[in-house]
Amino acid sequence: MAKNIYFENINIGDAMPTFTSDPITRTHLVRYAGASGDFNPLHHDETFVAMFGMPRVIAHGMLIMGITSHAITEWIDNKYLKNFKVRFSGMTEPADLVDLENTKARATITVTGNVVKKFAEGGENRIQCDIQAVDALGGVKLTGSFIAALPSK
Amino acid sequence: MADKSNLGMEFAPYTFEVEKGKIAEFAMAIYQKDNKDQTSPLYTDLDAAKKAGYKDIIAPPTFQTCFALWASGGLMPLIQALNINLIRLLHGEEEYTYLGTIHPGDIMTGKSKVVEMYEKEKKDKPGKFMEFTVIETEIRNQRGELVIKSRSTLVER
Repeated sequence: MAKNIYFENINIGDAMPTFTSDPITRTHLVRYAGASGDFNPLHHDETFVAMFGMPRVIAHGMLIMGITSHAITEWIDNKYLKNFKVRFSGMTEPADLVDLENTKARATITVTGNVVKKFAEGGENRIQCDIQAVDALGGVKLTGSFIAALPSK
Repeated sequence: MADKSNLGMEFAPYTFEVEKGKIAEFAMAIYQKDNKDQTSPLYTDLDAAKKAGYKDIIAPPTFQTCFALWASGGLMPLIQALNINLIRLLHGEEEYTYLGTIHPGDIMTGKSKVVEMYEKEKKDKPGKFMEFTVIETEIRNQRGELVIKSRSTLVER
C-alpha cells in the first residue's frame, strides 16, 4: 500500500521505488489464466507451443502489466491513478523448477520509472511517470507510462 | 489475416458483476501470492479500504481485463469475430484511462469497437507485414457512470 505523497514533493527526474517480482513460474501463469479468464494455450500448454517451434510457454503480457501495476500502487495510491499504458516489447518465459537457479533470471521482473512531467489538467496537479519492466538478464518486457493526480499540501 | 472490413465493428455489450472473491483472486495472481492477505489490503479488507478513504474495497488497476474474457466466453469469440489467427496473435499495447472506482457488487457493462486497423512492414523481413487491430472499450457501472476507457492493440505477426 502506498504512503501519503504530495505533488510539491515530487520533482521531474525522481525515480519511483524499484520493485522486483518473484521469479514467474508456470503455476503463476495458471493462476493468472484462471483469475483473468485468458486461457490462450500459449500460456500453459507446452504441447500447443511445440506445434510452432517454441521451446516453452510464455507469460501473459497482462500478467507483466499487472505486476507493473503492483509496483506503481506501492508508490501511488490507486485513487490518484488517471491513466496507465504499456507497449509490450518482449516475451517472458517462466523459470523451470528443475533448474530454478539457472532460469530464474529470465523470469524475474524489475519495474523502474522516472517522473518526466508535472502539469495541471482539469483542475488537478498531475505527474507523468515513464516506466519499464525488465528481466534480470536485461530483456525489456514492456515500456509505458502512468499519469497520477496528486494532492497538494 | 485480419479483415479490414471489421473497422468500425461494434461488439455486443457484455455485463460483468464484480465479486469480492474475483477481486481477491485477481490480486493474488498479480501479486504472485497464495494468500489474499499477502496482497494490498485495499483489495481484500473493508476496514483498511475505508481507512484509506474508499467506501468499499477496490479492484486492482488492470482488473477490468477479466470482464470481457469472463463475460463473453473468453478470447476465442473475439478473435473469431475479427478473423485473427490465434497462433499469430500478440498483445501489442494496452491503455486504461480511469474515471471512477470499481467496488464489489458493481455491475459493469462494456461496449467495444474496432477503431483502427493498420499494417507495418517487419523490420527483419522486408515485404512481410504485421497487422494491427485497435479495440476501444467504454466500461460503465450500474449507474451509467463511465468508469474506465480502455484501448487494446492486437498484433498479428
